[in-house]
Amino acid sequence: MTKPNIQIDDEIREMTEEEYAELLATGWTEEGPDDLAD
Amino acid sequence: MAIKTFTTGEVLTASDTNTYLANSGLVYIKQQTVGSAVSSVTVSSAFSSTYDNYKIIYSGGTASSLNTLGMTIGGSSTGYYSIVHYSTFSSPTVLISEGNNNAASWSYVGYGSANYTSVSIDLINPFAALYTTYGAGAWPAVTVAGTSSGIHQVATSYTSFAITSVSGTISGGTIYVYGYRKA
Repeated sequence: MTKPNIQIDDEIREMTEEEYAELLATGWTEEGPDDLAD
Repeated sequence: MAIKTFTTGEVLTASDTNTYLANSGLVYIKQQTVGSAVSSVTVSSAFSSTYDNYKIIYSGGTASSLNTLGMTIGGSSTGYYSIVHYSTFSSPTVLISEGNNNAASWSYVGYGSANYTSVSIDLINPFAALYTTYGAGAWPAVTVAGTSSGIHQVATSYTSFAITSVSGTISGGTIYVYGYRKA
């Protein structure tokens, strides 16, 4: 899976492996649910 | 001087005009254009001793799917608590609640879809070495809508924040930061 980009002010770059691991640890997924109520 | 009462016949000077036009309650601080397909956007140098409390709005963007939008303060990754109460448009009398309990971010400060992004919150005391809270979090999703509030229980001073996409990514639009004038 391609790592998502992050933006810090005007700089946009691909996440590092460490940042991506931290993001996945939060429960982040590439696609969201249809809706929380569905 | 925050306010002045002019009297009949008094000359309205350019200096007074410029001063008091600028003395609004809500003062623009900065804005950040959001790039394409990013999972988070950090806005640096947003908070300072000039203001205690802030208004943050993110509008004009889109999300890769139906995404709840979150926030972190100053890169902190612990101590976030929040509650969102919402109902579906089809059953508005049925209340549903979700929340964060000592999470790595606030997860319910706004919402986005392929057709919009919406964040509008008041942020209280992010620069002070106190707990930071947010309120008046409008949370309008596509089939549901609600409001949220939360507290970050780390008593540290912060100067930056990040809007995050709890899933997927966000693209475009602008994050606006305003300060509530103190005097």
